[in-house]
Amino acid sequence: MYNNFGKLKAAVLGGALALGAMQPATAEEGLDYQTVSDLLHLVMSSDRTVYTRMIVNRLAVQEKVITASEHFEDDKALVLPAQMFRFGSEMVAEETDAFSYSLLSLWPINKQNAPTTPLEIEGLEYIAENIGENFYGTEELGGQEYFTAVYPDIAVAEACSKCHNEHKDSPRTDFEGGDVMGGVVIRIPMD
Amino acid sequence: MKLNRTYLFWALWAFLTVFVAAIGARALYVSGDRTAFLPGDTTGVHHQFEVACETCHTSPDFSDTSKITKDLNKTCVTCHKDELKASNDSHPIKKFKNPRMAAYWEKIDARFCTSCHLEHQPEDTLPGMVTLAADFCVACHSEGDQDVRKNRESHADLGYETCASSGCHNFHDNRALYEDFLVKHGNEDWLHPEPKVAAAALARDRPRGGEDEISMYLASLDAIESARDADIEHEWAATVHAANEVGCASCHAVDADTPEEIEEQWVATPSEAVCSDCHRAAAKTFALGRHGMRRHPEIAKPRKAKSALKAIGIKNPPESLVSAIETYLVDPAPPEMMSTAEARVSLRPDAIGQDLTCTTCHNPHSEDVNFTAVEACLTCHNDDHSLAYKSSPHFALWSAELAGDGPAGSGVTCATCHMPQTEKGGKVLTNHNQNDTLRPNEKMIRATCMSCHGLGFAIDALADPALVANNFSGQPMRHIESIDWALKRVEQPATDANQ
Repeated sequence: MYNNFGKLKAAVLGGALALGAMQPATAEEGLDYQTVSDLLHLVMSSDRTVYTRMIVNRLAVQEKVITASEHFEDDKALVLPAQMFRFGSEMVAEETDAFSYSLLSLWPINKQNAPTTPLEIEGLEYIAENIGENFYGTEELGGQEYFTAVYPDIAVAEACSKCHNEHKDSPRTDFEGGDVMGGVVIRIPMD
Repeated sequence: MKLNRTYLFWALWAFLTVFVAAIGARALYVSGDRTAFLPGDTTGVHHQFEVACETCHTSPDFSDTSKITKDLNKTCVTCHKDELKASNDSHPIKKFKNPRMAAYWEKIDARFCTSCHLEHQPEDTLPGMVTLAADFCVACHSEGDQDVRKNRESHADLGYETCASSGCHNFHDNRALYEDFLVKHGNEDWLHPEPKVAAAALARDRPRGGEDEISMYLASLDAIESARDADIEHEWAATVHAANEVGCASCHAVDADTPEEIEEQWVATPSEAVCSDCHRAAAKTFALGRHGMRRHPEIAKPRKAKSALKAIGIKNPPESLVSAIETYLVDPAPPEMMSTAEARVSLRPDAIGQDLTCTTCHNPHSEDVNFTAVEACLTCHNDDHSLAYKSSPHFALWSAELAGDGPAGSGVTCATCHMPQTEKGGKVLTNHNQNDTLRPNEKMIRATCMSCHGLGFAIDALADPALVANNFSGQPMRHIESIDWALKRVEQPATDANQ
């Protein structure tokens, strides 16, 4: 696992250098947990926003040529943005223990995505109250210490607020564009 | 003298102890029959490869418990991954690997199959090979956000032992039972207006060649003279094989190109490999079911003496020792084919002793759908459900179709439900895993029942054991309320939330 984590840090560093997102650093120095987590989140949130705006919102809400559905196979529809994010995180979970991530909310349509640890609750409440800020902390789960980061997940397109406000199982129905609807939680096991 | 006898006794005792221990250790760590070490019978069909211990027990000797658990669980998924993926598993392992689920690991650790399915414990095993108490859902769905009694008004007074035993929920496969599906199909009539199985209709509606075409085909047959048989050739000419230009040598002399080579290479009884070489999907699914499981590529081969000796520290064993072990102490291996003599379901006494191959159910030269899809099954199976088939409405429909009185695909055979067909790119594929629509039987709802029946009727019918036993002669005497509750929740939304 240590080796995988080393590779991960190196890969993230390489990506960051290519993007020019940070000052050059040597691979030997490595990156601290927060930087690794921030960079991972940058990739996740960018992909998530692209899928939501350019695929789902464009085709399902604006042009109305196809629908997006939780039961995408049965309904021959697009995968929902939240599902696309979850499928990615589950694929990562099958490949590595070096990090994990999930999309959670204090107002989840699917109760599986409600917070389960005290730090998740604290983090989600923090990002909802402190707009534009991230939350960082550490917690012990299953005998392992984790660095845990919580990033705000924003309603980036009409599709987000519209679907959540109209869904029969949504516990909150007054979302507007730009609102914090939940949070992305990234965990990295600490050495 | 007395003292000497005592010493002798102790020496003999020590010798016998070491001797018996050595025999046991040899069987465990090198080679030989280990059935004496079975901690209990294996469950269900696992008996078919019970003697091949390494199929499941892959960890090196003396590994720690954590590694053994991980390795053991990997082997479950090796064989069952396709069906779990197809089932759109409601509780996939990957969902529970996230550390945020750590609190649940202490309740039921769903990262491991063995948390619910322990082997070698037949006396504690429930249907579905479950080795937990029947109310296992209570572990995670009785508190906090996951409390179903709070999330669903209709569930407030239900016992947790009923979740998975009532026909409402399964741990893995809920493709026909999830709430939105119940709502979508909740108001269907018990029978569709024109009930038929589309893929079967496509297969049975195949256009047949004219007389000229058949004569031309017969003239082109390439069998060797001594094997010619006019009856067989006429039967063959009417088959899909013939329509696809498959000739005699295609199976009896696979590698031959010229008449001379056909003569030279002719095999009177081609092996099963000849069939599976073309019918790959059928062969693959056959190896996943009870009939063909012995062919599954993941069943462990007998241990190799040299590697086993190396593993216990004998790095350069003498050749004589290796060959002696391989000659006299070889691991028992499961037979290549399943025989009806080993079956653990009710079979007709006169069927005992048959090996199960392609030709057990498929006559090699004729295409007798009634034999393949009905009579072949009833040649062996002797349980109430099978014996009741010929007095069932499904059989009446099949008889009508055979007689030309019913449209293609309207008849319901044994294979219709137990070996369902699907259409892919204009081709019809038959699932040869006869168990794929069972365990639990709700897996049959979408694969077959709903071709003709409404969802509500299908759920009720499959939840009525008496109706299953009499092969669906009559109406269900049980009613599962899941659709009623799902519809009510949509029509009169409460404040409760989903999942």
